[in-house]
Amino acid sequence: MPLISTQSLTKRYGSSVTALDGLTLDVEPGIIGLVGANGAGKSTLLKILLGLLKPTSGSATVMDMDVATRGPEIRQYVGYLPEHDCLPPDVSATDFVSHMGRMAGLPPAAARERTAEVLRHVGLYEERYRPIGGYSTGMKQRVKLAQAIVHDPKLLLLDEPTNGLDPAGRDEMLDLVHRTGTEFGIATVVASHLLGEIERVCTFLLAIDAGKLLQSAPISSFVERTGTLGVEVEDGAHALAERLVAAGLTARVDGRSVLVDCPDERPYDIVRDAIDEMGLSLTRLEQRRHRLEDLFRAEGRADDAA
Amino acid sequence: MTRHEAAVAPRESATGAIYDLGYRGYDGPRLGRRAAFATLFWASLRAAFGLGRSGRSKVVPWGLTAIMVVPAAVAGAIQAIAPGGLSPFNYDNYLWDLQPILALFVAAQSPELVSSDQRNRVLSLYFSHALARSDYALAKFGAMAAALFILGLAPLLVILFASILASSDVAGAAGDQLGNLPQILGSPLIYAFPLAGLGMAIASFTPRRAYATGAIIAVFLVTGAVGAILSEAGRGRMSQVAPLLNPFVLLDGARNWLVGKSIPDSPVSDAHLALPLFGLLTAVLTAIAIAAVVWRYRRIAA
Repeated sequence: MPLISTQSLTKRYGSSVTALDGLTLDVEPGIIGLVGANGAGKSTLLKILLGLLKPTSGSATVMDMDVATRGPEIRQYVGYLPEHDCLPPDVSATDFVSHMGRMAGLPPAAARERTAEVLRHVGLYEERYRPIGGYSTGMKQRVKLAQAIVHDPKLLLLDEPTNGLDPAGRDEMLDLVHRTGTEFGIATVVASHLLGEIERVCTFLLAIDAGKLLQSAPISSFVERTGTLGVEVEDGAHALAERLVAAGLTARVDGRSVLVDCPDERPYDIVRDAIDEMGLSLTRLEQRRHRLEDLFRAEGRADDAA
Repeated sequence: MTRHEAAVAPRESATGAIYDLGYRGYDGPRLGRRAAFATLFWASLRAAFGLGRSGRSKVVPWGLTAIMVVPAAVAGAIQAIAPGGLSPFNYDNYLWDLQPILALFVAAQSPELVSSDQRNRVLSLYFSHALARSDYALAKFGAMAAALFILGLAPLLVILFASILASSDVAGAAGDQLGNLPQILGSPLIYAFPLAGLGMAIASFTPRRAYATGAIIAVFLVTGAVGAILSEAGRGRMSQVAPLLNPFVLLDGARNWLVGKSIPDSPVSDAHLALPLFGLLTAVLTAIAIAAVVWRYRRIAA
């Protein structure tokens, strides 16, 4: 049984904006990364799965339940962390999470008990009795995560969970997401525009662009295909690229850098020797972080070729 | 789906050793939409009086509640000291006389219930649970109506107890007062629903508290003032009917029709209209207001 399945799902806002354009996909349980640029349709997809938005056409099922007809039932088993702020400032984290637990169907005692548990899991201790208005962004994100898991959902939809966090906060949030997905065993969809984050915590990748499915593959297979070495030199990027291509590598110029595809270890030595022999001044040599742009550029080229 | 039960192991933190028992699932009952509705209703009713909120959120609702009750308490005390004196208040005129306080409560607390959820965007969370959008609208409306009912009932109960305690024959007085129960319960009930509808209908259309409060006060002021001016300046039938523009006149007429007597300073008797008409208009006003709130929450983006 697929966790999420959509058939030619389309969502238009008004007559001009198309957020989802005939999206068809099947997703098995796991930690699923949903990646795409801002405006690619990530949030729209999540909201349709939750029944917050009605699709213009097409259909979607979550855990084999049709979102159009069984929305309330689905929502009992789904936790949602919205992209935007969604917390009242004048209530304490304990009161708010427990309130949301009861909204999700927990009896009062269970809501209190689970609130204490999930707040401890997300790392909120003494401060949970203070009004949320005084929290840091990192603490607020934790409260948002806590309210999403308080009712022990079977599916967790996280929309940009690291939004607004500093690097340390990002790491902690990603750790939490990873724990939630593995240790807690909750199937999770993480929407993000940062491929690096998806790579770190997810097992499966869905890439969408302009409302269309771009990629749907396990993270491992994806990383192999786009592993790229960035070589930045003072001048002579073009000469270097030509030489590397002549040596049998796949290389292309990107500004002052040469991007070299590295399916294995072999290119590293060739690049080192080439720079040495050509007497180039090397500014930077880096394992390229897989950025969304690269993914989309690669796909664009494939389209052009076809 | 497997759940790993983590071994019990202390984890050091700023607050000392935390014994991490690992994540535990939940296999207990999941109550549905009805429980969510009840939860939201009670939470909103508490919020209407600032319960569970900071001290600052309690100032306005409790201040207004106090102002609402004090005249009844003072009148009761005077009766106790000087029995036989005529109290200015009775079950018929009390809510009419203190209508500015009711209006202020509606203006101050309606935004507390609905505007802040919009401003803080909590709606996305509510709507991503089993609750339907109309449930949210009706729970909020119901909570506001309940709050207004409590606010209106409290002083009438004070009058009731004062008059029972002030009499020499407590048991007899209690028996006499039994007949007034329809008035004591009915009047605040008749006031609560239309006022809550009006407040919710206006407040649900803006995330800004101040705008909502201002708009509600404006509606009460304008309808009251226009009604009064037209009835002064207009001629004949016009001047008699004009006060109907004021929602409080409708409420007093409905109260007059259903549970009480006419009161001298209300324009209801001057209008020379059949009392059921007031009841009908009150019902129509309430229905329109509720429909507006439900419509608003069906359309609102979350």
